[in-house]
Amino acid sequence: MRRDHPGLSWPRPPGADRVACPSCDALQEAPRLREGEAAHCGCCGEVMFQNRPRSLARATAFSASALILMVLVHSFPFLTMQATGIQTRLTLLESAAALLNDASPVLAAAVVVFTIVAPLVIAGSLLYVTAPLRNGVALPGALTLTRWIERCQPWNMLEVFLLGLVVSLLKLGHLADVHFGIGLWALVGLVLCLAAALAGIDRRELWDRLEVALHSPPRRP
Amino acid sequence: MNRGTRAIDLGLASCHTCGRVSPAAAGHCPRCHSAIHLRKPASLSRTWAFLLAATALYLPAMTLPIMDVQGLGGTGPSTILSGVITFWEMKSYPVAIIIFLASVVIPIAKVGALVWLCLAASGRAAGAPKHHAKLYHLTELVGRWSMVDVFVVAILATLVQLGALMTITPGPAALSFAGVVVLTMFSAMSFDPRLLWDREFGGSRAA
Repeated sequence: MRRDHPGLSWPRPPGADRVACPSCDALQEAPRLREGEAAHCGCCGEVMFQNRPRSLARATAFSASALILMVLVHSFPFLTMQATGIQTRLTLLESAAALLNDASPVLAAAVVVFTIVAPLVIAGSLLYVTAPLRNGVALPGALTLTRWIERCQPWNMLEVFLLGLVVSLLKLGHLADVHFGIGLWALVGLVLCLAAALAGIDRRELWDRLEVALHSPPRRP
Repeated sequence: MNRGTRAIDLGLASCHTCGRVSPAAAGHCPRCHSAIHLRKPASLSRTWAFLLAATALYLPAMTLPIMDVQGLGGTGPSTILSGVITFWEMKSYPVAIIIFLASVVIPIAKVGALVWLCLAASGRAAGAPKHHAKLYHLTELVGRWSMVDVFVVAILATLVQLGALMTITPGPAALSFAGVVVLTMFSAMSFDPRLLWDREFGGSRAA
């Protein structure tokens, strides 16, 4: 129940001592893992879950950094282009607005969901859930938000957008004066922080800790 | 190989959202309240349906223009493939290769892989379940990178608005292509990799 046993596995709610391999459905006892270890399925060898080192601290720190970088990403342009006295700048919102003006509202909505909404839901929910969990507390709505983290993960495409930026840069380089902005470096940081936050805590550990927190009376320090 | 008990034999389901093992008859996961099933419902039919829809959308995505370059330096509408060829002729090999991989190789390979997995799950394709499972994880991982071309069009349409000199607007293929990527992602999500092992275990029990 306490978090001052860094070598030990996370607290487990009753009934969570069995695991069915997500790949082959073999039912087995869920082993207790030390930090840095991974549990492999005894039947197909697939990794079933892991105990990430200092998971809650890392998930909290990286999701908080991701949120801060997100502010920078939306305030400063990735690229600015100068040609014949006209200057255009690129941010995520402006790219969605341009698509809207070009009469492709569905495409604009897709860009907003894949590059703004999904990353925001993931980073915001992860911070909201993991930070209080460090003290064994689950805030109201934590269950719903954790479900949304799972749901949003495949649709977070910021790293794909970053590759798109690189390709566009190569395309435009010879055409006009293109300058990098702070937004581009913030985006690189955001992609890395989001990946680190999600990789920082195993899905199973997050759910186990959440269940323990929800079913135990609040502790006073 | 260790052929232990499987969750389905005891009527137990592991939740798709949180991984908790609980009786499937309850219908809902006691921990995260998501709906639970022994296997993803109608997995193969849904996977096939999304695959068919994606393949149908792939035709307009390749034949219609993905963007329209207007103005003095404009080259008019261009499709995905004509864009790849232009960049290859301009000796911008990295751009040509990335676009070709993301827009042609990955979608086709992904659809091919899912067709093979569906056939394997219904016992009509050869191969070990272990290799099929690897293939499934790879398809899940790689699919979203196809979206890069759509983002490139969105970025160019935002930046290149230089009035009479040059203006880029997205073409109908951009939307079709985004549809292809989303549909193949839905298709991969509907597929249940445990079906690959069900035949293996079922077969061994009958023998």
